[in-house]
Amino acid sequence: MGTLKVRDLTKTYGSTTAIDHLAIDVRDGEFFVILGPSGAGKTTTLKAIAGLVEIDEGSVEIAGVDMTQVEPYYRNVAMAFESYALYPQKTVKDNLASPLKSGRHHHYDEAERTRRIADVTKTLGIDHLLDRLPKELSNGQRQRTALGRVLVRPADIYLLDEPLSHLDAKLRASMRAELKSIASRSNTTTLYVTHDYQEALALADRIAVLRQGEFVQIGTPAEIWRSPVDTFVARAVGQPEINLVDGVVRGGKVRALGGALEFPAPAALELPEGKEIRVGMRPSELVVHREVHDGGWLRVTGRIRLAQRLGRDVELDIEVGDGHLIVIDRADASHEEGQQIELDIHLPNVHLFDGGAPDEHTARLGSAVGRGAAPLPEELEEELGE
Amino acid sequence: MARKEMMPGQKRFTAPAILGDVAILAWFVFSLFPIVWMVMLALKTPAEQTTTYFRFSPTLENFVTVLTARGTALTSVDFKAALVSSTINCLGAVVVSLVVGIPAAYAAGRWKFRGSDSLMFNLLSFRFAPELMVIVPLFVIYNGLGLFDTTFGMIWVLQLVTMPLVVWILRSYFEDLPEDLEQAALLDGYSRKRAFTMVALPLVRPGIAASALLAFIFAWNNYMFPLILTNSGSVTVAITKFLGGGGQAYYNLTAAAGVVGALPPLILALTIQRYLVQGLSFGAVKG
Repeated sequence: MGTLKVRDLTKTYGSTTAIDHLAIDVRDGEFFVILGPSGAGKTTTLKAIAGLVEIDEGSVEIAGVDMTQVEPYYRNVAMAFESYALYPQKTVKDNLASPLKSGRHHHYDEAERTRRIADVTKTLGIDHLLDRLPKELSNGQRQRTALGRVLVRPADIYLLDEPLSHLDAKLRASMRAELKSIASRSNTTTLYVTHDYQEALALADRIAVLRQGEFVQIGTPAEIWRSPVDTFVARAVGQPEINLVDGVVRGGKVRALGGALEFPAPAALELPEGKEIRVGMRPSELVVHREVHDGGWLRVTGRIRLAQRLGRDVELDIEVGDGHLIVIDRADASHEEGQQIELDIHLPNVHLFDGGAPDEHTARLGSAVGRGAAPLPEELEEELGE
Repeated sequence: MARKEMMPGQKRFTAPAILGDVAILAWFVFSLFPIVWMVMLALKTPAEQTTTYFRFSPTLENFVTVLTARGTALTSVDFKAALVSSTINCLGAVVVSLVVGIPAAYAAGRWKFRGSDSLMFNLLSFRFAPELMVIVPLFVIYNGLGLFDTTFGMIWVLQLVTMPLVVWILRSYFEDLPEDLEQAALLDGYSRKRAFTMVALPLVRPGIAASALLAFIFAWNNYMFPLILTNSGSVTVAITKFLGGGGQAYYNLTAAAGVVGALPPLILALTIQRYLVQGLSFGAVKG
């Protein structure tokens, strides 16, 4: 049993509120990711659940037991710290042995300890570093050691604070896959904190998007991607960021980019004439026109202002009407700067948000076809297993 | 010595560079001169003690006199006994300061509450008041309590000198220690006490060594408390007694006693030198 139930979790530092009445329900064995920018309160949330910071309000229930006032060492949670928190005077092996030696939750004999440590270090690719001190490791190796100290023992909940952030890109991808398989194998409830949307989408059963100490949206990766509740969430997932252009409803049509983008206002949304609106289109869902699509697609014409080759893809900055859009296309196609280009986007992928001031986060109204969620792109569909 | 910082195109041996070295050397000689003078004086015979010549016939006679003479006409000081009681009193004060001061410093470094800084400042402020200001009431109290001229009394009063030092130095060590380390230990299943002894304490060992040594030196060099609150005295008090009284001064004996009196802290410093270098360069506890 490893459920987690958090209610009204609140922590203030002086006059600033780090986390504000958070409610979390994590099912047994679920992989739950908290996604948010730095300073949103992610680490505070984890530490509050672990009992390492005194909370001002709220309750924490782990595995069905109220742990709100309980000392950290009775909670049977394991945590990977963003700062690694490896004991500098102990070798990698002794660092990993530490939770096994405390004997708080279970007693392990010498042979069992050695076996567990060997297992987890092999998985993490640090089995050749057992006798090193933390100061003799690279940041990536330290981070894997910190992760190892968590995975080496069973716990009701694993709390992982940006456990992959200091790995290089290649290693991060392989560790991500490793973590996902460990999580599904060990079936341990995991609360994972990150600012990396790719990690969140790839690993999570559910994602909670955190902004300034409050959850903006909690949902499956698919829900977060397809129907972000507001522009903040829409911008938090996807790289390059979603294109957001301001428009207005005129004569039953949504007009933006000085008229270069125009489509009928979906009747289901009942948008009044003259309503300010924000149109969102993801760069990966705007496709360069090559084939004729069936109905339900929108055509935009523009001129390539800048083409940046990024390996397999090319990122195009396209001048459209009085604004511009960022588009991702295959790198093998020819892209001349200054060239005319036609873009297609499936109408359900055109998100409509409330209008507002330039930096304001505004709520999602629906898509260009109504209230429904946008369909999932193929590559994500594969990854999310839907 | 580390290599000198060079400017682009600069040659290694230039007139300014050499002059700079000479200046440093001159300052070195100047600042060490009192110690050199004391050692020289300690080696001179009574006949030579008031001369300022660098040429003299050295003798160890003064050291023998200082360490053996007792109740002779020359001096009534038992210097050996003073060495022993100073050592006991100072070590006692340091031990008390560490036993009480380490947990206090840990608490002060980790537990912030309204007024915690004032409390720490208050502790330090004991060191601001001149000892002369409190010595008379202290003398009266010690007499009343029967603590006059007792080891316990001396340790008690010397820890007034050493405790704030230990607490203040170690507090900054504990503050520099990332809290995550002890938190990790808590989540590993260790109690707060174990997290302290297993994780925090070993990491501030250099700080403990440095603060203990400094505390010992401060206690060792204290003059006012043993002068007023004991008869048997301490090394500092004993040294002055060689100056004699009523006409005859034994500068050579005073110097010899000074040299002997300076040795214990020196020996102590050399034995823990390894820790001391780490300890005095703050922030050396990062993983």
